[in-house]
Amino acid sequence: MRRVAITGIGAVSPLGNTVSAMISGIERRECATEYIPDWQRYKGLRCLVAAPVQMQDEKLIPRHNRRSMGRLSIFSVQATDQALLDSGIDRRHLSGGRLGCVIGSTMGSAESIAEAFETLIPNNDLSQMTSTKFFQCISHTAAMNVAQYLGITGRVMATCAACASAIQAIGAGYDLVRMGEQDIMLCGGAEGLHPTVVGSFDILFATSTGYNQTPKKTPRPFDAKRDGLVCGEGGGMVVLEEYESAKARKAHIYAEIIGYNTCGNGSHVSESNREAIVFCMQEALKSAGITPDQVDYINAHATATIQGDKEEAAAVREVFGDHVPISSLKGYMGHTLGASGAIELIASLIMMRKNVIYPTLNLDEPDAACQGIFHVTQPMDKKIDVILKNCFAFGGINSALVCRRAD
Amino acid sequence: MAEQDIVNLVNGVFMESFEIPGEKLVPEAKIFTDLGLDSLDIVDLVVALQKKFGVTMRDDERVRAIRTLEDIYNFIQILKQENRK
Repeated sequence: MRRVAITGIGAVSPLGNTVSAMISGIERRECATEYIPDWQRYKGLRCLVAAPVQMQDEKLIPRHNRRSMGRLSIFSVQATDQALLDSGIDRRHLSGGRLGCVIGSTMGSAESIAEAFETLIPNNDLSQMTSTKFFQCISHTAAMNVAQYLGITGRVMATCAACASAIQAIGAGYDLVRMGEQDIMLCGGAEGLHPTVVGSFDILFATSTGYNQTPKKTPRPFDAKRDGLVCGEGGGMVVLEEYESAKARKAHIYAEIIGYNTCGNGSHVSESNREAIVFCMQEALKSAGITPDQVDYINAHATATIQGDKEEAAAVREVFGDHVPISSLKGYMGHTLGASGAIELIASLIMMRKNVIYPTLNLDEPDAACQGIFHVTQPMDKKIDVILKNCFAFGGINSALVCRRAD
Repeated sequence: MAEQDIVNLVNGVFMESFEIPGEKLVPEAKIFTDLGLDSLDIVDLVVALQKKFGVTMRDDERVRAIRTLEDIYNFIQILKQENRK
């Protein structure tokens, strides 16, 4: 098996439209959650807060590419452009057949899907449907739009596993490069914010509803006063590359991917399950060939739901005890869903580079059910050689990725 | 509808939907080669024109003969006249 390096990163996030803007926001301990007054018109929607992206510069994407893009595809293209530039990869590789992309999302553009039904349903009339709506709505919209925009001729795939989509995308790219099927992979995830997306969580009592008037206090991962997740949006992309060729061209290597696992919990579509999370993390560590005590930092999935945080904390306690520092970035950017695995991995790679752990924002008092693990509540200086990134998804899909500092 | 109104509204569709600068919108401009539209854009052009002028043209065979902006102006004029009858 070949080794796989991460040589480029790019992000469009609720805290800013570049990696540096996002990191600055985190370092300022800024919460991107906002009250969305317009959502009051939706009867039955109790969560009126979200972490939106302020879209910028979308018109720099040529119209003939942009016309098939919803918000999540625009975020993907912008994050990919950043990551490619950061990696320094020669753009001639894009059309060589040995470079591909895998980008995940929960679904196609929720906004475009809503518009399509709003066009079709009132009069059962298709004649007003535009040609590109379909391309905005399809499940692989982000991957195919990035591939068309860049002229990619290698593998083009989508991993649609809700909040585990991005880690599955990076894991799939890791597999393709290490098995020698591709040499370079552009991988990540994206999601667009829309009330229908928030509503899908809201009807399950999984959203934060008690902080509509004090939005900066939510979400509150692992906190005793957490009351659910806050939906965000964005896109995160990483460039994966065969390790030796990255070294040969003297690329900056953020980290080496050394382990990955994804698995079903086999038990429930929406309830997290400690045993399944334990299994997922252990299998990821096993594939990396390391033991739990070799992990320096865990970037948690922890979205601030009552049940999910408790199960993740219990699983981490079982595998790592209270020895390994853990934090969640959801308090800064909300839950960016299909993008979260990539965006939060990218922030974790910056933590590795800076040897600092960003704390969980809004974690004032750890819930009794979330104790017994090493919560980071203040910025913490620490040499980070190995990161574990967790992502868990509705549908009972778990995923975990292990990265090691480059040698 | 006055001829100039049709020109203005059609040109508006090209500027809004296809982001084509007004100065390129001369009557003899060829839709594919000069203005850069492709097969997907033609579907959206038809949708936009139907909405703008309250006409039906999606399944009209005469659409296939359209080559230039002027052809569109004239076709809309004809459809408007047919609608009045």
